[in-house]
Amino acid sequence: MGKLIWHEYSRYVSLSATVYTVWASFFALYFRKFFWDFVNGIVRNPGGVQPANSDSIFVTLIVKAPVIPIFSMVLGFGFIALEYPAPFLKGTAIHRSFPLRIVVLLLQAFLAVLFYQGTNGALWSIVAAMCYVRAQVLGEKMEEAKNNRGRGGRA
Amino acid sequence: MGETWLQREFLNPRRLLFNVIFYGVQLFLFGYGWHSQETNKKLSALNALTWHDPRPHVAQYYQAYSMAFWSVVHTTAHYVNFFNVERTQVRPEIALDIHYTQAGGITGHFMLLIMLLMYTTAHHKIRNQCFEAFWYTHHLAFFFMIGLYSHATGCFVRDTAGPAYTKTFPFYDPDHCLGYNSWRATIWPGVIYFGERIWREIRARRATRLSKVLIHPSGAMELRIVKPSFKYVPGQWLFIQVPDISGWQWHPFTITSAPEDPYVSVHIRQVGDWTHALGERVGAGPSVVASMTQAAMKGSEKKDDVYGTRGDFVELDATSSTRLLPAVRIDGPYGAPAEDVFDVEVAVLVGAGIGVTPFASILKHIWYRQKKGNLGSLKRVEFFWVCRDAPSFGWFQTLLQEVEAAQADPNFLRINIYLTQKINEDMLWNIAVNDAGAEYDPLTLLRTRTMFGRPDWKMIYSRMRQAIEAGQYIPGSNAQLKTKVGTYFCGPGVLAKAIKEACVVSTCSNIDFSFAKEHF
Repeated sequence: MGKLIWHEYSRYVSLSATVYTVWASFFALYFRKFFWDFVNGIVRNPGGVQPANSDSIFVTLIVKAPVIPIFSMVLGFGFIALEYPAPFLKGTAIHRSFPLRIVVLLLQAFLAVLFYQGTNGALWSIVAAMCYVRAQVLGEKMEEAKNNRGRGGRA
Repeated sequence: MGETWLQREFLNPRRLLFNVIFYGVQLFLFGYGWHSQETNKKLSALNALTWHDPRPHVAQYYQAYSMAFWSVVHTTAHYVNFFNVERTQVRPEIALDIHYTQAGGITGHFMLLIMLLMYTTAHHKIRNQCFEAFWYTHHLAFFFMIGLYSHATGCFVRDTAGPAYTKTFPFYDPDHCLGYNSWRATIWPGVIYFGERIWREIRARRATRLSKVLIHPSGAMELRIVKPSFKYVPGQWLFIQVPDISGWQWHPFTITSAPEDPYVSVHIRQVGDWTHALGERVGAGPSVVASMTQAAMKGSEKKDDVYGTRGDFVELDATSSTRLLPAVRIDGPYGAPAEDVFDVEVAVLVGAGIGVTPFASILKHIWYRQKKGNLGSLKRVEFFWVCRDAPSFGWFQTLLQEVEAAQADPNFLRINIYLTQKINEDMLWNIAVNDAGAEYDPLTLLRTRTMFGRPDWKMIYSRMRQAIEAGQYIPGSNAQLKTKVGTYFCGPGVLAKAIKEACVVSTCSNIDFSFAKEHF
């Protein structure tokens, strides 16, 4: 059985999840809908679900002004920069931190699950967070990129 | 070099042709879908829903990335049109009903999750780290395909408000359910693939016996397997399974025996966990073989120590050991055959590093054909072996020794070995002391001398061309006939490119240099 390095694996999952979330946030700017509006909401014909009055805070932040999608998108771009990583973050302490990633991924999942397009992004972010938890539990360390091992030039 | 990513990925002629045809067909279907949506009255409700995607789900036979891209397009489009179904209430349901209570939505989200798991574990880094994670996860494809075939069962594309189900097959009313029925097309490749997997299993279950295990001094185990139903040609590879170690894992190895041999052999070095377990199981304990391998890596096994000189191997005796040899199953053969070496006058065989293994079988096969006097048009063989640490492939050198010793015509087979590793002082003195005047090369124990550094392919090919043109190279050939020189290469891509360039440069009106990169 080969040895799976969990944080290297979860990097791919979290990148996929974050790219999806950014894409979903983008569409949430145009097709604005509160995901949980069916709870206590009524269906109007035409017009669709009308959320309950108790949800007005979410309606304000997602439908009237897409604050949550914008925040989710900004967070997503920032997280991609950390995860890819962007050159200026490579090798820094925050780049090596798994707890930071777990927190950001869970926050991202929380934001994404609030708007209509974000459910899959939220689910995938939770999967990625769980993989990072596993890496943390196993005590994995993120190593510096191995130097002096170029790809080999022409033959 | 000098070739951009765009040129490589999209402007390569074959791929360009494929893209034009593939997307041409897609666009036609899109256009057809658009046209029918505009003109067919039954579909008129769809016109109220902007952004509907009428593309059928046929993209999965293209590369995975293309599939991922079109999945994004398709899913995004559905997110928009379910939103609009709810807003306009053309059907008395809300968007989340379609997403999470109807077959189309559920299977779609499920397929996306499977794709996430399959794509991420299929990354080459993960595959190298833990092949099992990739291998087992990739079998989710089965559920993916079930999701794909049933994706349209909810009958989302219809002209009625409610789903038009019926009690009898096909369980929907075709007058109202206007799906594209793409499953009728996509199910056949799935059936063929599933059938192939079953057939593979049947083939693998045919009588197979591990007849011998030989341990070569350099640490490689040679498994000799007898399976009468197994037919192959040189240069192919097989999957091997040892149920005692794992009943699920199949590991690929290059076949090293020639079809004329009464057995199928593979050479296995104990470098990974599975190969270690195999060594332990057959009684070639890791301590014994690992020390042999270590010694071979250092090139020290040529001393006359307890294991003898290289060329001697130890046969594990099944009767004396406490356990019988394990049962094995083999599946195959797979890969490109290299039979056409007999259609060219000069065969240039180039193996780089581990890529040399298929040539064991090819060289043996050539040797058998030579003995039978049945060489086709093959006149000469140039064998190149470019290697960083030649001593670790001691078993291959043993084979080369046998083939070299059996040559009656000194010009038929020429072996060129290039050692590219850095040479330390000890090795330098070893060579200096032992090489001069010795009959055999000190490193490889072959009559052929080892060369150091990387080969200059352009020089090699232009010399070969000059020699052929001068009529010295091939005995009895005359310049009027076109000479065919076939190069067969197995190894890394950069080297392949360098050799291919040399082949192209050297080709002239009466000598045709062809190049084949073998995907063994």
